[in-house]
Amino acid sequence: MKQKIQAKDLINVGIFTAIMFVVTMAVAMLGYIPIFIPLLSVLVPVIGGIPFMLFLTKVKKFGLVTIMAVLIGIVIALMGMGVWVIFTAPLFGVLADLILKSGSYSSVKKSIFGYGIFSMWVIGNFIPIVITRGNYYDMLISGYGQEYADTLMGYIPDWSLLPLLAASFISGLLGALLGRSLLKKHFIRAGIA
Amino acid sequence: MIEFKDLRFCYTGEDGTSGLKRINLHIRKGEAVLLCGESGCGKTTLTRLVNGLIPHYYEGTLSGEMRVCGESIQDTPLYDLAKTVGSVFQNPRSQFFNVDTTSELAFGCENLGMREGEVLKRVAQTADELSLKPLLGRSIFKLSGGEKQKIACGCVSALGPGIIVLDEPTSNLDMRSVNDLQSIIAGWKAEGKTILIAEHRLYFMQGIADRVLYMRDGEIREEYTGEEFYKMPPSFFRERGLRSLALTRLNGCGACADSEKKWLTVKNVQFSYSRGERLLDIPFAELPENGVIAVIGHNGAGKTTFVRSLCGLLRKDRSILEYQGDICKARKRLDSCYMVMQDVNHQLFSESVLDEVLMSMEKQDEKSAESILEALDLLSFKQTHPMALSGGQKQRIAIASALASRRSILVFDEPTSGLDLRHMEEVAESIRELQKQGKTIFIVTHDPELILSCTTHILHIEKGRIWGNYPLDEVGRAKMMEFFAGDLLGKEVCYDF
Amino acid sequence: MLDPRTKMLLVVTSASVLIGGGSGGAMNVIKPVLTAVPLLLFLCSGKWKAAVIYTTVYTFAFAGEIFLVPVTTGFVNFIVIACCGMFARFMPGIAMGSYLVNTTTVSEFMAAMERMKLPQKLSIPLSVMFRFFPTVTQEYGAIGDAMRMRGIRFGGGKPAKMLEYRMVPLMVSCVKIGEELSAAALTRGLGAPIGRTNICKIGFKGYDAAAMLICAVSVIALLLEKVT
Repeated sequence: MKQKIQAKDLINVGIFTAIMFVVTMAVAMLGYIPIFIPLLSVLVPVIGGIPFMLFLTKVKKFGLVTIMAVLIGIVIALMGMGVWVIFTAPLFGVLADLILKSGSYSSVKKSIFGYGIFSMWVIGNFIPIVITRGNYYDMLISGYGQEYADTLMGYIPDWSLLPLLAASFISGLLGALLGRSLLKKHFIRAGIA
Repeated sequence: MIEFKDLRFCYTGEDGTSGLKRINLHIRKGEAVLLCGESGCGKTTLTRLVNGLIPHYYEGTLSGEMRVCGESIQDTPLYDLAKTVGSVFQNPRSQFFNVDTTSELAFGCENLGMREGEVLKRVAQTADELSLKPLLGRSIFKLSGGEKQKIACGCVSALGPGIIVLDEPTSNLDMRSVNDLQSIIAGWKAEGKTILIAEHRLYFMQGIADRVLYMRDGEIREEYTGEEFYKMPPSFFRERGLRSLALTRLNGCGACADSEKKWLTVKNVQFSYSRGERLLDIPFAELPENGVIAVIGHNGAGKTTFVRSLCGLLRKDRSILEYQGDICKARKRLDSCYMVMQDVNHQLFSESVLDEVLMSMEKQDEKSAESILEALDLLSFKQTHPMALSGGQKQRIAIASALASRRSILVFDEPTSGLDLRHMEEVAESIRELQKQGKTIFIVTHDPELILSCTTHILHIEKGRIWGNYPLDEVGRAKMMEFFAGDLLGKEVCYDF
Repeated sequence: MLDPRTKMLLVVTSASVLIGGGSGGAMNVIKPVLTAVPLLLFLCSGKWKAAVIYTTVYTFAFAGEIFLVPVTTGFVNFIVIACCGMFARFMPGIAMGSYLVNTTTVSEFMAAMERMKLPQKLSIPLSVMFRFFPTVTQEYGAIGDAMRMRGIRFGGGKPAKMLEYRMVPLMVSCVKIGEELSAAALTRGLGAPIGRTNICKIGFKGYDAAAMLICAVSVIALLLEKVT
């Protein structure tokens, strides 16, 4: 397990991150309609589970999952979708990597749990909504009065990050299960896993 | 230069049928060696040993000794081997790392940390020698297969290795591009490079290959000098499942154009890029309804766009197909035509071969599905995952699902690129069978052997227009051969329509 | 025109300032300036279509904030605020991002990353990724064609099946292409533990200085705002 990361591993990480992005982008388009935004914390982890589980069959070394997470952070930031993911993705990436390592990158249970943790990176996309809340609140009070502002803010409570975080974790588990089932049903039999 | 002693190799996770058994080989400096044999004989594996992809990239069990320039390959990392061995691969679309041609030519030199001035000098020199100047600074995604393969050769030249390995480099090329490749390889040989090439197409290595090795079941079975090999009679090649050497030796009769009474017409097939450049413009064409129509023309002539329009796959397509008295617009053609794509991986969706066929049926009926599979020699695989099968078998699964969906027009997009003789004949056999069942068949192809063994009609498209539309009778056959032969001589032959 | 590093800085700055910044004070000037930057860049590089799309969407979002917000109430009002607010805040960053991706070649990216002393462990996968995006998209399109031909369409009522039909061929062909791509890149010496050179000419010029100045001012204003 102490093998060094080689160029071919790095290329693999790049390829799978690209696949992850393209397939999740297809659903992320929903995010242009704001009421669906919370739904993204469910859809992105579920769909991403399919390429991720296939990726794990090629990962036997510590660090690759972390690199994937860092890449996700960089790309999200470079696509202008906010900078918070640069921090959340590597954090959950390292945690996931550690979990997978504890299962020697072969334990099925740990891989499912690991992807659940990994999926929590999406929370980075929601942090600005909660942080900028204060500005909105001030603006609303001055424009529409205290009571009205309070009702409106009721839609995005202070603690709204927590359920989103939980949702992303649970959807991550579901995504991992979906990924596992496709892995067994197709990819192993097709000889690419 | 290259030395193998008692070499054995078996890929991880395979039973050893596709590996190599006991290879002893010595290749001298400056020698050009051609590897031939049926698919799965081990030629590709042997090339991977020379460029170090085995054991550094593809894993497996390896025993015996191998040395390149006196150094053991096992102990030399790939990035060091890159200086001594250059490689050109089969699939032009997947061997580029950059998205523009100039960066791609420089890529290898950059990786090895050459100084900027040196890299620029080498790129300019390579572009000059291989006449790549018109291709510089272009997007990889906008090049034809032949142009991509030239760039791939350029990448090798820029690094200036002493050994060059080519793994089926002509699989996806038309004959004109094969010619270009031929002159590049001849140039390398003249420079004194050692060349190892694995190929199905053999004719273009005549006069270049010093030695020819015939492989079978992972062993080198026979060895000839270039001169001996290219003097062998046609039966020699046929017995070994090798493709014909030259057009003059092709002696198939074609499927003999029969009395074509019914005709279908296509009208108003037009397609432009979003920039307004007209790619395809076919106002009217009449074709035999119960025919096997070969669609020929050079890379980038618009053949694939034409058949995509036929299948109703183009957007905003106003063209019309009059078929069996019906007027079919694009939308309707989507349900009556079926294309077996060049990359058949795109069209297999299910978890077993049987499911794949059932999925296409309006009413799922296992009995008739099985009889379709039986006819295509696939019944024994009915529970296998389609993606786990070989290329030819996948192609037949696609045919099976077309049959199951009762489509009457079938289109094949380059079904025999990179196939050996036996597999090509299997494809031809399936196509003849389909014709007997009354299907109309279109085949986009660069393969004269395939055309002679199963088609009845030729549609020649060039620069988006029809340059020829004729039955494959004696006259048609001569015309068709002239087209391919014209390519061999490197000049264009054109006909008035 | 701009150095890739400047473009990256612009993306990150506009995303963080426009999304995270408040209103009033210096922001009244900074926000419109940052919003105008992508438009200016689109126009300068002849990306007319992108310029038109960006202007239209932004105008709608902006107009919505001014005209629709006061006249609606309750839940509808919330949706309008959310929609318009989102678009007005996110659009410039995303537009800047698309400008970055569309005007920078893989080798420019690599050169920029090498100048920024990014380790190979990040620069190799990043460049592979940018190389692979168009390939995955192409494959995705080809599989879409195959699905239309088979009569597999959305609205069949089986989203899980649809997902499977999309993903299985996509994964299989991407993994295969990926394998060939790695093999080709490795035989060309990718991953050699030597300082990689790059013939791509990148470097800072006058425009870069101007853009950096805008970024610096914006970030300082943002920080001041957060402190006070």
